[in-house]
Amino acid sequence: MRSLFRLSGEGEGFVPPSSNDFELPPVFGDNAFTTKPIILVFLSVILVSVFFLLSSRKAAVVPSKLQFAGESIYSFVRNDLGRDIIGHEFMRFVPYLFTLFTFVLTNNIFGIVPFLQFPAMSRVSFPYVLAVFTFVVFHYVGIRKQGLIKYLKDIMFMPGVPKPVYILLTPIELATFFLVRPLTLSLRLFANMFAGHLLLLVFILGGEHLFQGVLGLKLISPFAFAFGIGLTFFEFMVQCLQAYIFTLLTALYIAGALADEH
Amino acid sequence: MAMKDEGNALWSIFGYLLSGMLFWGGVGYGLDQWLNQGYFLLIGLLLGIGAAIYLVWLRFGRE
Repeated sequence: MRSLFRLSGEGEGFVPPSSNDFELPPVFGDNAFTTKPIILVFLSVILVSVFFLLSSRKAAVVPSKLQFAGESIYSFVRNDLGRDIIGHEFMRFVPYLFTLFTFVLTNNIFGIVPFLQFPAMSRVSFPYVLAVFTFVVFHYVGIRKQGLIKYLKDIMFMPGVPKPVYILLTPIELATFFLVRPLTLSLRLFANMFAGHLLLLVFILGGEHLFQGVLGLKLISPFAFAFGIGLTFFEFMVQCLQAYIFTLLTALYIAGALADEH
Repeated sequence: MAMKDEGNALWSIFGYLLSGMLFWGGVGYGLDQWLNQGYFLLIGLLLGIGAAIYLVWLRFGRE
């Protein structure tokens, strides 16, 4: 019985996937700027641009399939994320929201596209940069709309509170707006992509390792692969959801900055 | 508008609780280090959560 389940016998054991699997070497030579995530990010920009250029080039009243696909995504971002959340000034922000959504979505889905199979957002710097963009945009919009003093005052001082309580509340408000918001925005995306990729690695590499074991383990390995496939579909859901949430929160922050009072 | 407020509340509450704990917990931790005590961190965390919940109520609870 023991020998039936012994892990692939002599020597090397199973090396579980770790954060080292995210440190990919440069693709071309010794150049640190050509690692896989960076190439994928450029690829995603090209893909998104080409797709939407093609889908909008021959715009017709009766849309082709391609035009329909492109317009569905656009109207989803414009209506559900722009108009419904930001309100009457939403058109100014649709280009940013749309770019953000398609960019993050494409990069996330790269995580399950065969041969690409790496979500660039699982390297934390990419979400950081996106969060900085959003941070700058919503603060800038708020300051432009209300003036620096009033904008800060609105953030810091909740109306209808006895003055001494502000000592307690104002630091929390400031920390929320200037630290926690960009941080949670980027870390949520990063952690979801990181964990998802790791999960797929565990099941698929584990299945492969089991397959190299003795007979009993060979019999188990299909289940690991089946789980890997199931989780791939699950990952697809998470990837779409995270792109949506990132854009949704950006829209919510902009809406909050535009609102006259709380 | 209703959906906007609900969505906003959903995400803001998490942010407030987190920053309440971070800030006042951080202050408590600093006091602990400074005065060589062990209980300011707990006080700070509780204070932070309490203040954050109060803030959530102020923003979304009272109509």
